[in-house]
Amino acid sequence: MKPDCADIEVTRLSKRFEQTITGEKVLAIRQLDFKVRAGEMVAIVGQTGCGKSTFLNLLIGLDRPTSGRIEIGGREPYEEFDYFRGVLATVFQQDRLLPWRSAMDNVRLPLELLRMDRGEQTRRAARWLDRLGLKGFEGAYPHELSGGMRQRVALARAFVVEPKLLLADEAFGHLDEVTAAALRKTFIDLARDQRSTAILVTHQLEEAIELGGRILVFGRPGHILSDIDLVSCSPSRLLSLRAEIQQMLQSNSSLSQ
Amino acid sequence: MPTSEAVGAVEARMPLRFPREAVLVLLGLAALWETASFFVQPFVVPGLERIWHSLISLRWDYVLVTLARVLAALLISFVLGVGVAVAMYQWPACERYLRPIVRLLMAVPVVCWILFSVLWFKWVEFRIAFVLIVVCAPVFTVDFLDGMKGVQQELREMLRSFRPTRTQFFSKLLLPGALPVLLTSWKINLSLAIRVVTIAELVGAVSGIGYGLVIAQELFSVADVFAWTMVLVMILFVLEALLTRVEMRMLRWRT
Repeated sequence: MKPDCADIEVTRLSKRFEQTITGEKVLAIRQLDFKVRAGEMVAIVGQTGCGKSTFLNLLIGLDRPTSGRIEIGGREPYEEFDYFRGVLATVFQQDRLLPWRSAMDNVRLPLELLRMDRGEQTRRAARWLDRLGLKGFEGAYPHELSGGMRQRVALARAFVVEPKLLLADEAFGHLDEVTAAALRKTFIDLARDQRSTAILVTHQLEEAIELGGRILVFGRPGHILSDIDLVSCSPSRLLSLRAEIQQMLQSNSSLSQ
Repeated sequence: MPTSEAVGAVEARMPLRFPREAVLVLLGLAALWETASFFVQPFVVPGLERIWHSLISLRWDYVLVTLARVLAALLISFVLGVGVAVAMYQWPACERYLRPIVRLLMAVPVVCWILFSVLWFKWVEFRIAFVLIVVCAPVFTVDFLDGMKGVQQELREMLRSFRPTRTQFFSKLLLPGALPVLLTSWKINLSLAIRVVTIAELVGAVSGIGYGLVIAQELFSVADVFAWTMVLVMILFVLEALLTRVEMRMLRWRT
């Protein structure tokens, strides 16, 4: 059974990697500490190499923390991996669609893993494809679709399980400006509609601000430089926010070099 | 509404066209052969009419016997080869121990396997099956293992994020991901098996195309040898064409 809420608690989380060639240990995340309330929308911004994607992998449960703890609804996603089946869904940078599956079959994939009734799978997948403007393309293979359409299928694949926690890893960064803006809006609207907790990892400040919830600014190695609540931000601060975050990242970058 | 790319993909899936060039080349070769038969002794280059007579008087039940041997051995090789590949993929220690054995099996020449089979086993059918399986199964193993390992890391992460069971990970990702490689190894093994079975049947078999060739050689009948060769080549062409159709159907998602 799915948990009722997906609040996230990160406590003194660190992740260290061993480099394959040199064998040198590299710290990717350092003593990360923060909480996310259920239903909250959080953007994580930071420069390349600040541990954003590493953090996301820890949150998905694909990787084990070196120290500290990460909990979703009170449970650890790596240790209790199977518990989170159907609870969280991720939209990746590239669409990562299975090329041998049609749009419909790609969207049905997570439902197949949940062993849902086949008729119900088809109905739900068709509904989500329709919501994402892909009616009529159910039978199309990924190579027959444009980049934007493929990412829409990937969004449908994530939303079809009606997840409690939605993760997006630079999900719109590779698309052109217009398509990215449209998809971003769709993502935000649908996440709000589903009342899912949403974590959006991005290096684009506009994208983070557009999410309209909270921004966590990551420094190198992965730690929080600033935690900004956009809801309580005054209009004047909102205007200067972009410059403020940029300056923050630049000074962190010069310190870490 | 289909996109223009979709239309292009549909066109790419059109049925095979008539192989005009291939037919012309074959007709040209036949004409050359027939011309040569006028100048050379008939027991060296028999005329087409003589070959035709050999062809219609062949023991066609031998063709069925050989085909049955090939298909049965290929199916067993497939099951064994894929099973070993899955075990090697699942347990790295298993791969470390089995890989040298698989490589060793692949390095031994076919003729040595035939000699071993004659020396080790009494039952003719078992000898032939042994040779075919020991030659074909490692090809399936190596190809399928490489195919599974070749599945993109990004796709693995994507599927893992949805938390599949081991069986689901295999059936939804690894198997379809390795399918193109697997179909190619079927093609390779098919032509390998047709050639190997004939040699295996030359030693001790009392039925099959290989046996038919032994009889033809004992009778010094080049026409019969030629007719059997044509049958073998035709079998290979037909089976390959069938596999190509299966491949086109199963891999229709490719551009």
